[in-house]
Amino acid sequence: MQIGRVARYVLGTITLVVLGLIYLPLGVVFLNSISTSETLSWPPPGFTLEWWGKALHSEGAFEALGMSVMVAVAASTIALVLGTLAAMALSRYRFFGKESVNLLIVLPIALPGIVTGIALNNAFRTLMGVQLGVWTLIVAHATFCIVTVYNNAFARLNASGTRLEEASQDLGAGLFTTFRLVTFPHLKSALLAGGLLAFALSFDEIIVTTFTAGPGVTTLPLWILQNMFRPNQAPVVAVIAVILAVLSVVPLAIAQRLTAKDAEAVSR
Amino acid sequence: MDSAIRLRGLHKRYGDTIAVADLDLDIEPGEFFSMLGPSGSGKTTVLRCIAGFEQPTRGTVALFGTDVTALAPFARPVNTVFQDYALFPHLSVIANVEYGLRVAGVGRKERRARAEEALGQVRLAGFEARRPHELSGGQRQRVALARAIVLRPQALLLDEPLGALDLKLREQMQVELKELQRALGITFVFVTHDQDEALTLSDRVAVFDAGEVVQLGTPRDVYDHPRNRFIASFVGSSTLLEPAVSAALGLGSQAMAVRPERVTLDAATGGVPGTIAEVIYTGPEHRIVVDLDGLGARITALEPNMGAQNSRSRGDRVTVSVEPAAAAPLEAEPDAA
Repeated sequence: MQIGRVARYVLGTITLVVLGLIYLPLGVVFLNSISTSETLSWPPPGFTLEWWGKALHSEGAFEALGMSVMVAVAASTIALVLGTLAAMALSRYRFFGKESVNLLIVLPIALPGIVTGIALNNAFRTLMGVQLGVWTLIVAHATFCIVTVYNNAFARLNASGTRLEEASQDLGAGLFTTFRLVTFPHLKSALLAGGLLAFALSFDEIIVTTFTAGPGVTTLPLWILQNMFRPNQAPVVAVIAVILAVLSVVPLAIAQRLTAKDAEAVSR
Repeated sequence: MDSAIRLRGLHKRYGDTIAVADLDLDIEPGEFFSMLGPSGSGKTTVLRCIAGFEQPTRGTVALFGTDVTALAPFARPVNTVFQDYALFPHLSVIANVEYGLRVAGVGRKERRARAEEALGQVRLAGFEARRPHELSGGQRQRVALARAIVLRPQALLLDEPLGALDLKLREQMQVELKELQRALGITFVFVTHDQDEALTLSDRVAVFDAGEVVQLGTPRDVYDHPRNRFIASFVGSSTLLEPAVSAALGLGSQAMAVRPERVTLDAATGGVPGTIAEVIYTGPEHRIVVDLDGLGARITALEPNMGAQNSRSRGDRVTVSVEPAAAAPLEAEPDAA
């Protein structure tokens, strides 16, 4: 398609402005992490690596990071198991109420976090009589993590159809052997992509976390929120933010590679 | 001796649609059996009921004397060659062929040897390490065949296996399939909508229409003696003669089907006069369409291409005759218009 000269400049400018709006603030965070100002005043009066040293020795931050990773791994694992099973059931079998089950599985991702948070908080404390702790938090995260795994697996299963599974059964393989040798290898990259997304969702979740984490359970987002406006801590928070930004590129790159590889395999 | 495959009262309904209607069928050991019919005639559903992918609404499937109606596909002594081959894309050619042996727990060495033998039988030795996407359609077809026969099934089910191949390759594969079936000596059940393929390959053909077998017999039975209009027009080409036209040709007083190659033009005696309406040159022969005088009907004749000797043109006057033995009486169809 041909685009005129003027249109090209206009569109180019819009693109630059939008990308700038997204990435300039990240640059500001980086500058803040090496600013000599304790209150993040602008422009930075000078530069120092003091905050980086402090951050690397901040026990609170690292404990919170460990907690976040643990919760995200646990929630993603639950989501991987349950999401795969649900996707298999809904794509391969017919049963009463199938459409409703599909909707009920996907709904948690659309529900406002504040609603999920209040609902789970009430249910845990009053209905089930459970103390809020790490496990209540993990279960709460799993409710929306399942959706990303389920969606990825369900789409892949529906796109591939049942022909390979029929071929496997025809050649003598039972249900579990067929899943192990045919369905799972085919599903692997979709599960990895869904799992990564689930991990990312859980990792930076804050609203549901606020309502379902027990006392003493501090995830990284909670820690950042608590320390953001404390004097002396703000630049440390900026350091953590920079580290997270760099780290978050890794799973994104993996997911993109996987998708590209799959697209290549499908087009052949 | 028990039939290789015995269907009794096989019935399959999807909602309000009857895919297969109370079918009884016996397929013998070592037979090349074709199920021929247009799409939606129920032939593939029957095959899937035999393989176990579909559960019949009622009726039974017995393989070599054993009722398998309630058994899952993996517990049945038959294997399938799928229409789109359904090769496992993440496995190499040899791993695809070894698959059935692997899940059956056959040792590594033996399964490698048997898989290589099967690849040799389908003339695909040397392709072991390729992936399915690196093969041509014909090669994939051979892998699918090897993967099924390596398990030494008692019957092989083939679901339109040549449908995706081009004409030349299809003809070549037809010959190879027939040879393979003879060499293995097992029952082949072959589903196709291509009447040429069914006539060329089969010992017996079942012609399907609307979920029922409308004719069952040898290719010669089906071709020379089509039972009704549907078969006469679906299997090969024929001219359908209304009772009045049959009578004028001296064939009797009912509707008949006559193959164009059995129609004689300008025989020594007798015949119905007519005018040539069209001459179609097909290479090896001429198809000649004749308007029969006073009958408001047309009949098609086939004459071999002998060069200038027997060339005819539009508008020529001819006489048309059909030997009584060459015409097939058709069953009356109350619902036919």
